[in-house]
This record gives sequence, C-alpha cells and structure tokens, in this order.
Amino acid sequence: MEKAVSTNALTKKFGSFIATNAITFDVAQGEIFGFLGANGAGKTTAMRMLCGLLKPTSGEASVAGFDVYRQSEKIKQNIGYMSQRFSLYEDLTVRENIRFYGGIYGLRRADIPAKTDQILQKLGIESVADSLVASLPLGWKQKLSFSVALIHEPRIVFLDEPTGGVDPITRRQFWDLIYEAAHGGTTVFVTTHYMDEAEYCHRVSIMVDGVMKALDTPAGLKTAYNVDSMDAVFQILARGTSTK
Amino acid sequence: MNRIRYMVEKEIRQLRRNPVLLRIMLAAPIMQLILLSYAANYEVKNLNIAVVDGDHTTYSQRLVSKFRHLTNFNLSGYLPNEKQARQTLLAGDADLVLVIPPHFERDLEKEGSAAVQLLLNAIDGSKAGIANGYATAIIRDFNADVVAETKVVAPGTVPQLDIENQYWYNPKLEYKTFMVPGVLFELLLLVGGLVSALNIVREKEIGTMEQLNVTPIRKHEFILGKSIPFVVIGLVLFTIGLLLGRFLFQVPLVGSLALMYVFAVLFLILCVGLGLLISTLAENQQQALFVSFFLLVLFILLSGLFASTENMPVWAQWLNLINPLKYIIEVGRNVMLKGSTFADVNRQFAALAGMAIGLLLLASWRYRKTV
Repeated sequence: MEKAVSTNALTKKFGSFIATNAITFDVAQGEIFGFLGANGAGKTTAMRMLCGLLKPTSGEASVAGFDVYRQSEKIKQNIGYMSQRFSLYEDLTVRENIRFYGGIYGLRRADIPAKTDQILQKLGIESVADSLVASLPLGWKQKLSFSVALIHEPRIVFLDEPTGGVDPITRRQFWDLIYEAAHGGTTVFVTTHYMDEAEYCHRVSIMVDGVMKALDTPAGLKTAYNVDSMDAVFQILARGTSTK
Repeated sequence: MNRIRYMVEKEIRQLRRNPVLLRIMLAAPIMQLILLSYAANYEVKNLNIAVVDGDHTTYSQRLVSKFRHLTNFNLSGYLPNEKQARQTLLAGDADLVLVIPPHFERDLEKEGSAAVQLLLNAIDGSKAGIANGYATAIIRDFNADVVAETKVVAPGTVPQLDIENQYWYNPKLEYKTFMVPGVLFELLLLVGGLVSALNIVREKEIGTMEQLNVTPIRKHEFILGKSIPFVVIGLVLFTIGLLLGRFLFQVPLVGSLALMYVFAVLFLILCVGLGLLISTLAENQQQALFVSFFLLVLFILLSGLFASTENMPVWAQWLNLINPLKYIIEVGRNVMLKGSTFADVNRQFAALAGMAIGLLLLASWRYRKTV
C-alpha cells in the first residue's frame, strides 16, 4: 500500500471535451514519475485533479493515501506544487517569500529562519536573500519555487513543466535538485516535453489526446518500440506513425 | 490562526512595496474630500441678473439697487426690452431677468399695487428655484419698505406675519457640514470595496492564487488575512478624514466619536465583504473594476449624498433598502451633526450588520479552492 499516487479510470470532461480519459496508474513512494505529452494532451488537467485544484468528473484517485473527492484538504497538507506559471510573489524578497510559504504550510515560527538559511545555502543564493524576487534570473526563480514547494517536506511534489524556458545548464542543475529530493524519499511527479528529461525519470507515461498511451521505464519503452531515444518513442506515439 | 498573521504580514509588505498605490489610496480620497466638499455646493452665489427697466423712476432704481447690494447677485446690465432679455437668457449671459414695466411707480402710488416680472433660466431647476426664492424675498422686502413709507397707519394695525426660520443641526446651512460626513464614508467604500477586489483578482492573474489554493490554507484564514489590512487602512483614512472635517471644514462632532468608529469598522467589514464577493466573480482586473465601478456609482447616486433620498421615486427607495452607503451616510450625518446615540441609529446598525454578514457568507460560499 506504499503508493504515493493511485488512480483508476480518472476522467475529466469540460462539456463534451474529454481532457483526461480514464487514466489508470500508480506511482510508488520515492519514484520520479515523468508525465509526457504534447501541449493540450491533458497533463496539466490530470495533475490539477491530483492536487485538489479540479474535481474529477469520474473515476477514482488517491494521493498520499487520501481520496481526491473527499479529502482534498488533507492532500494539500502532504503535497508540494509548482505550476507552469511562476507563482512566487515578485514584490517580496527571497527571504520574505520563504517566510510566507513556510508560515502558510504551518512551519513553526522558530524553525523558519533555519529553514530559510538552509534553502539559501543549498541554492547558493545567499547574496540575493534580501533582493526582490522580480530581480532574479528565471532559472534562479524556478529553483527557488521548487525549494519553496518542498518547504514543508511533503511526501509528493508535483512539478508542471518546471524547466520551461531555462538554459540547459540550469535545467541540469534543476534535475540535480529533483534527484536529491527523490533520494530523500520524496515522490516527484513531473510533466515535461523535453525528451532528454524523460530519460532522467524512473518511469514515464505518455499522454496523447487525454489517453495514456504508454507507461514504462525509459529503457522499457525504447525496447518496446525498437528505437534508441525517448524522442523517437514520443514521435511514434504522438504522431500515430507507429511502425508496428 | 497563525496563517492569518502571515497573510496580513505579507499584504502589508506588498502594500509598502507599492508606494504609488499607497499614496493614491491615501491622497486621492483626501483630495476628493476637499474637492467635493468645497466644489459640490448647492449654495447659489453669483447669480447674474439683468434688468429691463421700463419705468426709469426712483422706485424702480431703488428696487434694482436692492439686488445690487446683495452678494448673491451680480448686476450684469440693463437691457432695452423684453426681447433682448430673452436673448440674454438664451446666450447664458444672465441667470435671471427682472422686468419692471412702464408706470411701475405711478401704479404703486395710485393703485397701491404694481407687478414686476422675473424671467429665470430653469435648465438647472433647483438653482432656478433658489434664485427665485432669493429674488422674491428681495421684492417682498422692497414692498414692505414702500408700504411703511406711503401708508400712514396706526402701529399694530398692519396685519403682519413674520416667519423667522431657525435651521437646526446646521444653523448656517453650511453645505460642507452636510457633505463631509457623506463623502467620508463614500471614500471608505472606494478603498474597502474596490481596492480589495482588485488586490485579490490580481493574485488570480499572476497565478499566486493557484499556488495558495494548493496550500492547506483554510477559507476563513484567507478571507480574514485579506480583510484585516484593508479594514486597518480604511480606519487610518477615516481618522484623517475626521481630522480634516474637524479642523479644515469646522464640521462639528456632536455625537460620540466611539460610535462613529464602531460604524466605520462595521461599514469597512461590509465593504471588504463586497470586494471579496466581486473578486470571486471576476476573472480579471478589468471585470472587477467594471463591476465595482458600476455598483459604486449606483450606490453613490442613490445614497442621498447629493440629493435627498426621501424625494426619490418609490422604486429607488426600494433599491436603497440594500444600499449600504445610504444607511451609513444617515448615521454619519445624524451622529456628527445631531448627536444621535446608538438607540437612534440601531435600525441602520441592524441593516448594515445584516448586509455585512450576508456579503461575507456569500463571498466565502463563492470562494473555491479549485480552478
């Protein structure tokens, strides 16, 4: 029962449009789970349902052992979330943002300064601790967002295209942070459309038009489709040009 | 409970980082208070009067000089005939024309009565009414002088009915005294309702609202965390307004200051409740601004700030039953000018408290932690 996420035929309809069509999967605790798909494939919708931001139309899902219909507030206590849109307060400083989210997540007042120092040190941004977030480069902002999403040491962290628009070096550093979190036992649920990032995941699922077309380890998928890169797997599935 | 503190702390920090907004929030209402109280004025001064004197006698001159000696009137000139008078009114060069017919003096002396004519530009009906009132009073005064001079009568036999007016609660009929308490609360509605709505909708736009919605923050913590800073700013504004009223406009405060603050807090809670409700309905700042502006104008025009609510049509009076500004302006004026106590305004208290609770309940029902 050590499932971080478990869904069964989870579906979301917007009117007659089916954004997520009966997806069923499990994510183990401590796993890095990649959620791939083209824009509009239903990744964000699925993630929002799991985070309690959207009510599913039908199907079942539980996150950290809590039901998404009835216990969404309990889920929120146990997850971190980093949305596509950058969502720290640009008009607060780095330190103030950490303090605010720490407080909202219920950290003890006395623990916040130590936690703040720890984050600043880890990201190597002590020098800008009292600068407004608006003045930071995008890559720093995203690493800070990720650290803030982990501030309450959640069991699962949901990352929605966390590395959009950043340079390859920063992306690499970002993935180091993800590995570190996973190593500490945090489950990482990440959507992306960078295929090199898909290679870093323990397991990868590929969504096409609201349907989960494939779910396996990167190596497993490459073998199954008889290609040598995740990019090729994705092309086959997303374009429907299967050679099989 | 702790989360509320962090919310309030964050709001205050953000406000301090936005000195332009802070300055606008404090300075603009104060300017409005000064401008509205001085400029939006129903006292009628500087009426331009033109005269058609068809008589050219001592009496006609005396009547004209009576007008000339009053500060409310400017004698703009003499006109040869009534046709010219009409054109002068049409051109806007005179607000009223006094027409003294030929044989005015002769008729007065021989027949004991004579007629004069007043032509008024009545596009602004209330101004014309007031001008008419002033002019009639002057003519009546002139009439009394003439009667006293010409008729030799035994004292006490002239039937005279003197009406002495005493204006209570605003003895000098100072328009500012009437306006300041009203404008003061109108401004609280602006800050409490509009600015709070825009603040929350902005969080929706920049995406921090979604981030907050995935945290375990509870509805009431969010609502209180957003409300408290605006209630506090509103009270600061209210205090500045009261001080300005007292020392700049010499508006009396006959009633209890504490009672004024009780109502200010209640009214601010109501305004923030309205702002929160608007923010749950609007997707972006444009929508929020439009809805708030529409409501504000409606509330202000119907509130009795400018025109007495009792003279409004019945349907408008029904609408006014849910106009918070109407109740609070009544309270402000009655407490400040008349010294009303809580017992005198408990009906308004009940109405405002009911609306505040209703708005907050609606807002928290509408506020969803989902997208």
